[in-house]
Amino acid sequence: MAEVVKVCTQNFGKGAQDIEVYKKLGGYANISERLFNMSQFELIDYVQRSNLRGRGGAGFPTGMKWSFVPRNSGKPVYIVVNADEGEGGTFKDHFLMMEDPHRLIEGLIIAAWALGSRAAYIYCRGEFLPCIESINKALNQAYAAGYLGENIMGTKFCFDIFVHRGAGAYICGEETALINSLEGQKGQPRLKPPFPAVSGAWKSPTCVNNVETIMALPWILQHDPSEYAKMGTPRAGGTKVFCISGDVKNPGVYEAPLGTPMMTMINEYAGGVVGGKLKAVLPGGSSCAPLTAEEAAVATMDYECLASMKTMFGSGAMIVINDTHNMVDLLNCLGNFYSHESCGQCTPCREGTGLLHRMLNLIVAGKGHDGDVELMQSLCGGFGGVTICPLSISLGGPVSSYTAKFRADFDEYIAKNPDHAKPRVQETYRPGIFW
Amino acid sequence: MSNYYNMPKLPTENSPKVEIFVDDKPVMVPGDTNLLEALKAVGIETPHVCYHPFLPVSGNCRQCLVEQEGPRGRMLVIACYTPVAPGMKIYTPASSARVKNARKATQEFMLVNHPLDCPICDKAGECTLQENYMEAGQNESRMRPEYGKNYHGNPEHQFIDAKGQVRGGKHVDLGPRVLLDEERCVQCDRCVRFMRSIAGSEQLQLAGRADHTYITTFPGEKLDHEYDLCVTDVCPVGAMTAKYFRFQKRVWLLSHTPTISMDDSLGANIWLDHADGHIYRVMPRCNPEVNRSWLSNTSRLAFQNFDKNRLPAIDVESLPIGKGKIALVAGGSCTMEDLAALRMFKESLGDGAELFGGSLLKVGAPDGIAKSGDPVANRSGMKLMGFADVSEFMKRASEFETLVTVNADLFGEDAAVAKDLEKINCRIALSAFDDATARKATIAIGVRHWSEVQGTMVNSLNIIQKLNACPVCPDENLEAAYEVISELAGNKLESASAAFAKATEYASALAGLTYDSIKSTGKLLEGGNA
Repeated sequence: MAEVVKVCTQNFGKGAQDIEVYKKLGGYANISERLFNMSQFELIDYVQRSNLRGRGGAGFPTGMKWSFVPRNSGKPVYIVVNADEGEGGTFKDHFLMMEDPHRLIEGLIIAAWALGSRAAYIYCRGEFLPCIESINKALNQAYAAGYLGENIMGTKFCFDIFVHRGAGAYICGEETALINSLEGQKGQPRLKPPFPAVSGAWKSPTCVNNVETIMALPWILQHDPSEYAKMGTPRAGGTKVFCISGDVKNPGVYEAPLGTPMMTMINEYAGGVVGGKLKAVLPGGSSCAPLTAEEAAVATMDYECLASMKTMFGSGAMIVINDTHNMVDLLNCLGNFYSHESCGQCTPCREGTGLLHRMLNLIVAGKGHDGDVELMQSLCGGFGGVTICPLSISLGGPVSSYTAKFRADFDEYIAKNPDHAKPRVQETYRPGIFW
Repeated sequence: MSNYYNMPKLPTENSPKVEIFVDDKPVMVPGDTNLLEALKAVGIETPHVCYHPFLPVSGNCRQCLVEQEGPRGRMLVIACYTPVAPGMKIYTPASSARVKNARKATQEFMLVNHPLDCPICDKAGECTLQENYMEAGQNESRMRPEYGKNYHGNPEHQFIDAKGQVRGGKHVDLGPRVLLDEERCVQCDRCVRFMRSIAGSEQLQLAGRADHTYITTFPGEKLDHEYDLCVTDVCPVGAMTAKYFRFQKRVWLLSHTPTISMDDSLGANIWLDHADGHIYRVMPRCNPEVNRSWLSNTSRLAFQNFDKNRLPAIDVESLPIGKGKIALVAGGSCTMEDLAALRMFKESLGDGAELFGGSLLKVGAPDGIAKSGDPVANRSGMKLMGFADVSEFMKRASEFETLVTVNADLFGEDAAVAKDLEKINCRIALSAFDDATARKATIAIGVRHWSEVQGTMVNSLNIIQKLNACPVCPDENLEAAYEVISELAGNKLESASAAFAKATEYASALAGLTYDSIKSTGKLLEGGNA
């Protein structure tokens, strides 16, 4: 395995939670004359040239997102850090914040300067207690050292960071639901437009970024943006923190350049598949379509390649599955999760995810019928692009792709039902005609 | 849910017309509204559940999907939240199979956990879900009984029925007037938005999420508001039902009479729903200028006393009117026709007669929803017809020797103030009810109630509105007040249109109007400011 440049994870295991250690490792070097002499446009241009794309899942170019934030709206601009991290298989933000909280703070100061923001909120999953402790400790140190608060480094620039603990709803990782939750309302996605960049938290321009995106900023500013862009693919620059879990020898958080072949990730970084042969890989978290072993052999970990294979890069959370598992069990697990986490706003998602879960439960319990799979596929057709947020697709996508790629697993389970060929209604049954 | 929902913009007569393409055909639609209203204006109905023209748009039912041509190809969008833009290309089920299937799919999802108990549901016959099913669904069920239903409901209210199925809460008592059937609820959020945005008192909430969402009040609180029965109107399904109407009548057996509620000077537009000679319920009638779709509980429940304690009709040749001065006092619910007849009567009596109108009740403040607070419904009409206020009469009551009241229960309204009136020797009461004034009168003549007459009234916004006769009069011999009075005046007005023609002679503001020219939503009189 070749030595790779580490952007976000370079301080892992070095005790960088302490500000002195972090500074010795080169931290806060960006917060200097140089940053405060740069104009907002220069800085946004910098980020645009680095080809940095949002690391939360959607992969939207960060520089472009920033450029949408209106400058003279007369309202404060808020930065919200999405540290909700609810997607199944994703655990990178948790580690990043725990190991290197000062990098997040430094990145936020850079982002605040670029957006002209006065305050940032870190919306953190409430269960991440050690991580919140680590952040709070770092915040106290940064305030004491004068990196945060009034008149940072003797300039007129003032900036505050607040940590907000979420209550652990998956949907609060969606940016508008996150903003609703931050405001104290029920965490449900809002109708768009207006988009948060124009009217977000408290109806003010709001920029919602993932933890990893913000944490890449200090490196980009320290080095040249072209150097960052060089590491990735032509359309997405830099490195990515991957979370590899499942049937691998060394599950964990690994940083690698975008475009690394999937099998390199599994075999070299994570130590190879254990417990059996490779059956499937979920490349970007639980809501993406799985890749079969053959597809995984040719896939590279970047936005374009995975999109061309009809799955998605998502949050870079690879879940490796060996051939001892039945995909129906996995899908049932997802059905349980997504039907529980649907916010209950849109009809298809509210009622549909629950129905799919009940159908999957029956199949797993050996009570499936012929035609169940076709019905599930047809129901998922009713999810596509009709809801406020993509949560319905998060279950609909896997159901469609699991049933298409691993049909044998479903048939195996359905065959366990002795009555599986029984028709839905009796052949002789007809609804009564009264009129 | 978010508080950031915005009210929909509704088209008006002055809306600019823009050209859009619906199914590739150019049509001119109002340009300042949403797609759902614009399509409605050109006769294309879009099925919807959560959208209500007078409630903020929440866009959660996903039933009103249409396809819109955009930079990324044809996309499904919700018609209720998409603003009309010139030149936009829209595809409806008429040309797009994708829209048809998407609506059908939404319909199917909506019915997944909905109990199909229409035969015993009070809303059956006027249920949005049923209507949408006929329009967008009509699909044979693809579900197996094994899949089961996950009925919505508060875990505290859920129970297991005889078949072993977990059921949602039935007849949950929300407050003094409204019952909730949790499992019928489709989570459209309309009642929540009504209480928050219109009633201004956030008393309902959606609790839980996913398919265990249910409507509830805050812990320990009741749904209790002057407008709380409106949630039963906005509820598209049979989840919210009014205690007074529950199981009283199947709605398809009801006939509807459009009329005006004559207990407030805003003159809320209402439907009187009646069958076999009885009013069963009063529903608000949509009028964007007046009461929109809302009606206060007081106006809605007043019908329960319309047929009680009524005065019988008596045949009167002439009244025992003495010499001295005569006061003719019209009550708040007198129509323009009654007022015209009173003026005719005054003219026939000569100089000694004077006209007064109003009531002794206090005038309250407008609530901004469907009440102006003034109990004298036709006060503007009285001004147009040259009636002095009743307070004027009270000051000079001792001057008069005869008092004729028409639906004016002065003794009932304020017995202490009205006590002096007992000194007037001859007191003649024309009244629908056997009220305090009728009981103290020398002669009490029964007339029809406002719900049983045709007529017009001018509301506080100076809009002239039309009343229609609901065929629920308890006694066929009863006549409208204007008929009785005009007969006494010696020139019987046989119909409301004849009486209205008489009224236009007296009031210049009504000049040029005829009874039939007034639309069901009324007409703004000149000089008025709606």
